Amino acid sequence: MMPIFTAILIAALLVIITGFFCLTQTRNLLRVIIGVEVAMKGVTLLLAFAGYINGNYDLVQAFIITMIVMEVVVAVVAAGIAVRVYEKNDSLDIRKLTKLQG
Amino acid sequence: MNIFGLLLLILLALMLCFAVAAVLMRNLVKAALCLAGSSACLAVILCFLVAPWAAIFELSVCSGLITVVTISAISLTTPYSKDEENELIKKRRARYVALPFILLIVGVVAGYALLNGQTGLMPTMSNASTFASFKEVLWQLRQVDILGQIIMLLAGVFAVVVLFKERDEA
Repeated sequence: MMPIFTAILIAALLVIITGFFCLTQTRNLLRVIIGVEVAMKGVTLLLAFAGYINGNYDLVQAFIITMIVMEVVVAVVAAGIAVRVYEKNDSLDIRKLTKLQG
Repeated sequence: MNIFGLLLLILLALMLCFAVAAVLMRNLVKAALCLAGSSACLAVILCFLVAPWAAIFELSVCSGLITVVTISAISLTTPYSKDEENELIKKRRARYVALPFILLIVGVVAGYALLNGQTGLMPTMSNASTFASFKEVLWQLRQVDILGQIIMLLAGVFAVVVLFKERDEA
């Protein structure tokens, strides 16, 4: 089992790093959503793995479902903000967001 | 290693590849589809890790709903012109070239640290078997979570309504 456990931990770590790398490098608002989602996948995998190791599958499933619901709310609101920003500035580039007014 | 272990390894590799592709892909629609692929792989992995309810939610919500939302948002924007795109490709390539090397280095170092066995990082299986069932956990032990989810969903709906409300141009 050890190589599989190692693979799961490494895969989760690499997916989280990929998401954070996207967040640090991107200048596109929609790619920010993608970066957050990618990082969340790694966290979900780690949570599920923790439940598997601990034997407490059901508590972990409840946590993952809560996380997924929050993920959806974040994605929907962020997409809405991105669309409004695009309508206002004609661009999704975060460097052009210099005027934080309504 | 049995067939399930091998399948799990393939799924983990696929999930990582889709995640990296979602970040590196130039086309946003293709990036959103890669993200959906990553979610689908994660859903199958969750089934292997004895979390079927979480897998169902992951597949239907993350792989389905979030992809639809992302692609809808993309469809409301216009693509770059050819010149702008060529300029962006060069800049993007310079910014993202480090990602594969970072992943390779972190993967090798973490793999060495975990497989070496002397760091104490590797978790061990628990034999405990007196945990509450999923139904008890969700509806009795984590009632506050359910309430929080409902409030967050309502907050999300409210935020979207406010964002897309027609404004009177004064």
